[in-house]
Amino acid sequence: MREMIVSELTQAVQELARGFARFLPRLIVLVIIGFAGWVIAYLLKTLARSILRLIKFDRLSENAGASQLLARAALPPSSELLSRFVFWVAWLGFILLGINVLGIFGLHEQIAHFFLFLPRVFAALFIMFFGLLAASFFSRAALLGAVNSNLPSPRLLSIAVRAIIIVFVLSMFFEELGIAEQTVLVAFGIAFGAVMFGLAIAFGTGGKELAQRFLERRLVHKHEDEKNGDELSPL
Amino acid sequence: MLPMLDALWYKDAIIYQVHVRTFYDSNGDGIGDFQGLEQKLEYLQELGVNALWLMPFFPSPLRDAGYDIADYRSVHASYGNLADFRKFLNSAHERGIRVIIEMVLNHTSDQHPWFQQSRSSRDNPYRDWYVWSETDTRYKGTRIIFLDTEMSNWAWDPISKAYYWHRFFSHQPDLNYDNPVVREEMWDVMKFWLEAGVDGFRLDAVPYLTEREGTNCENLPETHVILKDFRRRLDEQFPGRMLLAEANQWPADLRPYFAEGDEFHMAFHFPLMPRMFMGVKLEDRKPITEILQQTPEIPASCQWCLFLRNHDELTLEMVTDIERDYMYDVYAENKTMRLNLGIRRRLAPLLDNDRRCIELMNGMLMSLPGTPIIYYGDEIGMGDNVNLGDRDGVRTPMQWSGGWNGGFSSADPESLCAPLILNPIYGYPAINALSQRRTPHSLFSWMRQMIAVRRSARVFGNGSIEFLYPVNHRILAYVRRFENETVLVVNNLSSAAQAVELDLRRFKGNILIEMFGRNIFPRAGDLPYLLTLGPYQFYWFRLRRV
Amino acid sequence: MLEEVSPQERVALRTDVKLAEEGFLPDDFVRQLIDVGEIDILVGLPTQNNAKTIASVVAAIQSGILQSFSRDRAAIINADAGSRDGTPELVVSASIDDARQRDFNRLALRTLHSISTQYGSSIARGTALRTILSAGELLRARATAMVSPDSTSIKPDWLRSLLKPVCKEDFDLILPTYARHKFDGLLITNLLYPLIRALYGLRIREPYASEFAFSGRMGSQFLAQNSWNDESREGCEVRFTVAAIAGNLRIGQCFLGTKNVERHAADLVPALRQTIGALFGSMESNFSLWSSKTGSQPVPTTGLEQEFTLEPQRVNRKRLLEMFRSGVAELESVFQSILSPTTLAELQAIAGLEEDDFHYSTELWAKTVYEFAAAHHKAVINRDHIVQALAPLFRGRVLAFLLENRNASAPDVEAQIENLCLEFERLKPYLLEMWAGKQ
Repeated sequence: MREMIVSELTQAVQELARGFARFLPRLIVLVIIGFAGWVIAYLLKTLARSILRLIKFDRLSENAGASQLLARAALPPSSELLSRFVFWVAWLGFILLGINVLGIFGLHEQIAHFFLFLPRVFAALFIMFFGLLAASFFSRAALLGAVNSNLPSPRLLSIAVRAIIIVFVLSMFFEELGIAEQTVLVAFGIAFGAVMFGLAIAFGTGGKELAQRFLERRLVHKHEDEKNGDELSPL
Repeated sequence: MLPMLDALWYKDAIIYQVHVRTFYDSNGDGIGDFQGLEQKLEYLQELGVNALWLMPFFPSPLRDAGYDIADYRSVHASYGNLADFRKFLNSAHERGIRVIIEMVLNHTSDQHPWFQQSRSSRDNPYRDWYVWSETDTRYKGTRIIFLDTEMSNWAWDPISKAYYWHRFFSHQPDLNYDNPVVREEMWDVMKFWLEAGVDGFRLDAVPYLTEREGTNCENLPETHVILKDFRRRLDEQFPGRMLLAEANQWPADLRPYFAEGDEFHMAFHFPLMPRMFMGVKLEDRKPITEILQQTPEIPASCQWCLFLRNHDELTLEMVTDIERDYMYDVYAENKTMRLNLGIRRRLAPLLDNDRRCIELMNGMLMSLPGTPIIYYGDEIGMGDNVNLGDRDGVRTPMQWSGGWNGGFSSADPESLCAPLILNPIYGYPAINALSQRRTPHSLFSWMRQMIAVRRSARVFGNGSIEFLYPVNHRILAYVRRFENETVLVVNNLSSAAQAVELDLRRFKGNILIEMFGRNIFPRAGDLPYLLTLGPYQFYWFRLRRV
Repeated sequence: MLEEVSPQERVALRTDVKLAEEGFLPDDFVRQLIDVGEIDILVGLPTQNNAKTIASVVAAIQSGILQSFSRDRAAIINADAGSRDGTPELVVSASIDDARQRDFNRLALRTLHSISTQYGSSIARGTALRTILSAGELLRARATAMVSPDSTSIKPDWLRSLLKPVCKEDFDLILPTYARHKFDGLLITNLLYPLIRALYGLRIREPYASEFAFSGRMGSQFLAQNSWNDESREGCEVRFTVAAIAGNLRIGQCFLGTKNVERHAADLVPALRQTIGALFGSMESNFSLWSSKTGSQPVPTTGLEQEFTLEPQRVNRKRLLEMFRSGVAELESVFQSILSPTTLAELQAIAGLEEDDFHYSTELWAKTVYEFAAAHHKAVINRDHIVQALAPLFRGRVLAFLLENRNASAPDVEAQIENLCLEFERLKPYLLEMWAGKQ
């Protein structure tokens, strides 16, 4: 019996050792891939940083208002952040590749899913970034327009425009990532619809005359005497 | 031989204006004569003209180039005698060339026996042959024609101690047409020449025959009555002869001279001529088309006489002030060239000796509605001499060859009736008939060909005119129609190449045949007909539907 | 749209004309240009729905040409932006030719072509100008005059005043001066004129003109130099003036008369875009030119000097103050990106003033403008927004000017403007500092 146990043990140990021997090269490969990946990711990060600097990405994000947001969150500037993001994504990708090599069953699919998901992440970030840019641009345009047309509460209008656009962008962001798609969609639909409906009522009842004059001016080519007849002509 | 009794011969005529005095001297006295003219008929026949207009050749003190006549029934001794004239006339007729002579009805020379008699005393039978007055205030407001020399239309006669009326020079007293005797006498004069065989008269200065107080003394109804009477007698006694009116008036004022076809057969279209010159300088057809638009319809038997230059100054009477200033500035910068509201230069110098422009102007002359007149020497491009007084600069001797006196006369050069043009550009060694007759592409040869083409189509002398108005204003285009002939004339008035699109939809289906080379051009259709023309180029197209 | 140039069209064109220009003009228009041919004088008329005023403008142009340029080959070219009230037809009816027999034909020595083309369906002044420049180049016009279709005070001798210096005295650009009301055209007297004078060293009174004349040489140069993209369609008049300065061409002025234009008071922002926006933009490409200029020189002027009329004018000063205050308050975040802290603080201080004490000094105004110019150069925010943000501050300046000159005489007003200009010139080093300065 002792010999049986010993032989079983020996067999088991040998199995383990064999398994280990089979596994070890893969582990080594994983480490090598990981190391290579780190190097490549670092290079990519440097490359990304140079490109971003070249296209004056910081200025752009300042315009978008993103820089202010990051500063408030005590995060590094956006180009740096983005380069680091590129670094991590790249390295993670390589590591996952390495893990794939390990041959652990079941992980293949998940890793494949990850890689498939990556473009959508980029797309979502893209949408978010340019959405913020647009929000900043249009809210400022609304502010300037309201101030120059002497409309009441220009700042409120500006904030409202920014809010609407950000809500819209966020919905697109979540939809792109596939997070609570339906909920977000419906919620956005409701909110947007309500706002529009409210504006329609307000415009329709309160701004009836304004609408009439507006349409007249568009469709019938009459130049009305300006209400502001007592202002000077600048040119 | 002359076609017998072709009553409308003047519509197909190509007239050559010539002065015997400066054409050809046959007897070496330095002055041209009828024998010389007769010798040169062969040249004229080669050119292709079929009518001559002779400037006055009557006995005269020659203080106004012969328009001051001292004897109506004779020939100035320098030019020969009546026999020479008759011989010349017959030779011309044999070559198929008709002869039109001047008849100065309005006035005579103060050397004429009639005037000598008239002024001698108030009881003289000839007294009433002229217009006398005690004062010079009658007929106030009448314009003076020779502005540069005359201050008044009345002249004081020291012999008669009275004023006499003269619309021209003071040595040319006006005849009194209110006197029936004068009228009879003048008809008798005309009859004398008609019986000799002349084919027509150019009646000089006809608007001024009669005067009435309170008018401008031009174009009066009484004048027309007299002229109609002459015409009636002419038609009765000498059918087929022609009367040509010299009346420098606006076309609307000229219309009465045609009446209902019972007054003049032809009249000069004075206002058109300066506008042709204006058109090529402005490079714009507007002056030309507008004057022709304003030209009234005339009876079917009547005809306009067209000309580019003549023995007088290029008259600018019938243009607006703006137009006159423009013409002076572009054609007569040198003020010595200006005379009496006109410009005293010949055709070639006016056009800066630009051969293409000269051809264009002659092309228009030959294709616009009317009978063309060529002034002697212009067919070879003779120049002028502005240093000669009055209008003598355009009346220099004809240049026949590069030899002695330009072939005009064998006399001493110093004894010629007028000096020859000598400069290297226009002088007789450079410009002369002999060289040009020998050169196939000279101006003379070109004129000869042009006249031949013109004579090949009756539409030019007899047809209607309808202007096309292409948007490119540098192109003057018109259609001439007569019976079954239709000709399209397109002229480029610009010194640069031009493109033009013509609306020829009415002539759809017609093939265009260019009349000089006789090559066919594309058919007219619905689309705008594109033509391109070189500087000053013109086309005559016969339209033929096959 | 790019179209093939047919061989027939080439016949009428000289080979030294840039063939690229032909693709820009419609076929039908080029055909009309062939018929017009080479001209000496071109009168350009950009229009859109100006039927109310165009008849008298065109009549004045026609009289002007007949009176002063009867011997010259002239043409009127109308660049229309899709009028629906018959404006192009009214312009075209001014042509004088033998096909239409009318009374005044006899007054005209020559044919006068008046042609029209549609360049688009909405107003784009740059495209209109480009159309006319292209036509002028193809027709080899020696001198071109641009005329505004709603100048109700235009007289026939305006054309002579504008064009004779170009034709006879070899000027390349003639800008007008007008007899203005002292409070008319404040954007020009208080902003455009001092700024352009300080930048480029030339005392050009009306750099943004609706009537001006230029030589063929200038037209060709401008046409060739410019890239005609979307951005450059706005403010072509100012860019034209700057191009003349930059090209070292001969610039002059002529006095025309009173300027009467339909009042569009609410159009301040578009006006700013067309003037200041264009001027700020031009500073980018002409840095080496304007940075080296100091002081200013007068420009040769024919006719009377600029005058002021002094009729009383009703102005809503309260509204101006209100808009200034509201602007300073609401746009604080925007101004923080554009202005220096000191300037912003000073502006906030004067926003607190009552109307009677209100005062916007020339020094502060000059600094404001220069800081805006620098911000525009660095594009701290969208450039168009920078221009828009200037509007409320300009209103404040207008108010200050109105209050200071309420009872002033014409020479006093002129002196005030001169002081303003000198202030701009004095502070030019400040501009250079801001331009190069802190990021």
